[in-house]
Amino acid sequence: MATTYTKEQIEKLIDGRLDWDTTFRMLAMPKDPERFELYVGVLQERLGWKDKIILPLGPHLYIVQNAADKRWVIKCDCGHEFCDYRQNWKMHAVIYVRDTEEALTEIYPKLMAPDPAWQVYREYYCPECGTLHDVEAPTPWYPVIHDFEPDIEAFYKEWLGLPVPERAAA
Amino acid sequence: METGQQTSRAGGQTSKVQVMGIDAGGTMTDTFFVREDGRFVVGKAQSNPEDESLAIYNSSQDALAHWNRTVDDVYPELVTGVYSGTAMLNRVVQRKGLEVGLICNKGFEHVHSMGRAIQSYLGYALEERIHLNTHRYDEPLVPLSRTRGVTERTDVQGEIVVPLRENEVRQAVRELVDAGSKAIVISLLQSHKNATNERRARDICLEELDRLGAKIPVFASVDYYPSRKESHRTNTTVLEAYAAEPSRQTLKKVNDRFKKHGAKFDLRVMATHGGTISWKAKELARTIVSGPIGGVIGSKLLGEKLGYDNIACSDIGGTSFDMALITKGNFAIASDPDMARLVLSLPLVSMDSVGAGAGSFVRIDPYSGGIKLGPDSAGYRVGTCWPESGLDTVTVSDCHVVLGYLNPNNFLGGAIKLDVERARQHLKAQIADPLGLSVEDAAAGVIELLDLHLRDYLRATISGKGYSATDFVCFSYGGAGPVHTYGYTQGAGFRDVIIPAWAAGFSAFGCACADFEYRYDKSVDLALPQHASDTDKVAACAVLMDAWQELAAKVVEEFVINGFKPEDVMLRPGFRMQYMGQLNDLEIESPVAQARTEQDWDKMVEAFENTYGRVYSHSARSPELGFSVTGAIMRGYVATQKPVLPEDPDGGPNPAAEAKLGTRPFYRHHKWAEATIWKMEALKPGNRITGPAIIESDATTLVVPTGFEVRLDKHRLFHLKEI
Repeated sequence: MATTYTKEQIEKLIDGRLDWDTTFRMLAMPKDPERFELYVGVLQERLGWKDKIILPLGPHLYIVQNAADKRWVIKCDCGHEFCDYRQNWKMHAVIYVRDTEEALTEIYPKLMAPDPAWQVYREYYCPECGTLHDVEAPTPWYPVIHDFEPDIEAFYKEWLGLPVPERAAA
Repeated sequence: METGQQTSRAGGQTSKVQVMGIDAGGTMTDTFFVREDGRFVVGKAQSNPEDESLAIYNSSQDALAHWNRTVDDVYPELVTGVYSGTAMLNRVVQRKGLEVGLICNKGFEHVHSMGRAIQSYLGYALEERIHLNTHRYDEPLVPLSRTRGVTERTDVQGEIVVPLRENEVRQAVRELVDAGSKAIVISLLQSHKNATNERRARDICLEELDRLGAKIPVFASVDYYPSRKESHRTNTTVLEAYAAEPSRQTLKKVNDRFKKHGAKFDLRVMATHGGTISWKAKELARTIVSGPIGGVIGSKLLGEKLGYDNIACSDIGGTSFDMALITKGNFAIASDPDMARLVLSLPLVSMDSVGAGAGSFVRIDPYSGGIKLGPDSAGYRVGTCWPESGLDTVTVSDCHVVLGYLNPNNFLGGAIKLDVERARQHLKAQIADPLGLSVEDAAAGVIELLDLHLRDYLRATISGKGYSATDFVCFSYGGAGPVHTYGYTQGAGFRDVIIPAWAAGFSAFGCACADFEYRYDKSVDLALPQHASDTDKVAACAVLMDAWQELAAKVVEEFVINGFKPEDVMLRPGFRMQYMGQLNDLEIESPVAQARTEQDWDKMVEAFENTYGRVYSHSARSPELGFSVTGAIMRGYVATQKPVLPEDPDGGPNPAAEAKLGTRPFYRHHKWAEATIWKMEALKPGNRITGPAIIESDATTLVVPTGFEVRLDKHRLFHLKEI
């Protein structure tokens, strides 16, 4: 029997307010089987839209099932839709590239920031609400990184033991 | 609570009570009284963190009631009393110590909080440690806001490279006093090699405090723990200020209560090095851990009496299995152990622990589908069999109750009633059903798994140190020890397996056995090739002699505080030596009282090589590497009264009829059997009992399954063997 947690504990976990003893037990023990559903349930409650969360991608970014037509899309907290879930959402974001010493020293003190000839920072923002979703630190010429291409079917069926949510063909 | 334990013969009321041992644990305070004739009683009372002296008083009353005597009557008779407890440890764990200010080297202000990185995961079980995100730093004993750096530098050779900037020390003291420091600790780099700068800083600090009219104590690391490894040295010195001073108040209160009831002895406290020290001792931080050490000291004394020099000591409590080895009559000492998630430079009786005990939680691993024990445990809450525990996860104790190992109506002498059916239901739902087993087979599987785990651990610890179990006698004690003894010793091949009738009070007994002993350590760095010149050997001896003299002065000073004369103190010098370039040193008791000549050096080397050959093997000795001395040790003793073992007349192999309490169904190896229940106190020396049998006492249960036999000897020690 794995340990179980209450919805209240999961809410605190999401907010970073969970006491250390419980957090430690969560980290050290095998994961409780119902955690994903509880966790996503709490996230869903907090959102202002009806689309069902399929998989969280970041603190403010999700793969969701569009409530109207069951398409799977990548969506921001604010409701902005980026693209189909198989595409790289970063290609649809507003991008700010820090590639000058001036821009980089806004982040780190002088001499502790990278040399822009070797490394740049690329920041990816939501075009609608301006939330910073991700930052890359590649060499200047490197293509936009597609971080994560999840096998959602296998994840639901084989890991969670849950039915795969309905998906309209793209 | 009436959970005391009495030996079979209550007669001899005229015999005086001489020795008292105290084990003040987190939940229960045990006391152990021994009379001149070796009779003993164990008392128990609920611990009282607000006033420990009261819990000790209650526990004493509980114990002495078995002899129809009272505290006022017995305390004046006592010649010695030894305390061990967890009060200081709790103060540290809960960070409820004094507000300390720290002076360190400039630029090194964060080192104390960083705890050598290792402090972020000390005390974790392996499965907790392997996930990096569980690593976490506890709040430092001294916050950054009360830490000040001063400029100075002594290099690793002890040369002063940058002199102390004295004004910075004065400034630091003023700031630390303003920040509310109640004590100041000074710990500077390499002060163990050259104490000049640190001592100067201490003196300036005292002057400045005097000028400010601030009456707060100053602790320079070099006056307390002059050892290498700055984090260890700083932590230990900080502990001295942070926790030891408040603990001294607790101990004073305990001592005052003893005095109020007519006690004439001065209270002693069990210390990490395995000796006892006075509560007035200058260095009290070394009493931070004391309880588990008592068992090792008790085993050593029993071994000396019985003529065993190789002993495997094993202690199972609710949360852990602790073991220590006594080889050739000596236990090993670790010089920089960790305790309470802090690295420290204190000599500690070395013990190995695994987080599995009678209270360990039992779960099904969702990935492997197998049974998983711990690493967490119910501790004093026993298990789901105790309805008031508030627990709903099964523990090892639940399995014991279901299988008939434990008497549900006599747990802790009937202090709490256990509900067998409740444990059964939980076991069924959580373990048996998911595994497709009957409740009995599932519970038996858990017990077998635990026994196997402990047996492997015991065996691996012995063979890992290069020994064979066949050379050892195994002592088994602790509250839950005798329930498991057969399981973890079966097939291990020990020469003998011994369970004292007072297993539950064995740590308190061990404390009462300990010497009145101070021990001081100091780092030294000596390195000589195998065929060094006589001049070099004499020079090395001189360095060691200086260190011994410095330490001996501290030892003698401590005894003088307690009213002893310097000539009463027996001094035993020692040193830590290793082959040059190897990583581990060995602690050696010096064969010479004074090191002056090249012959003295050769004798010390010979003693080291003999020990090395014994600990590892003769063929592994490597004198061609040369020899390093890494530490000087000075131990001092005075004579003390120790408990004597009871000696009872032989009662023949057959137990008396009144010792038999009845039978109870007992499950093992897939079948139920009727186990005979015996009353431990009513058994006589010479009695032999063949399994299946269970020998019950208030505080402990000895399980003898089919295929085993147990014999009680005249000292009230049970000998368990397979037949």
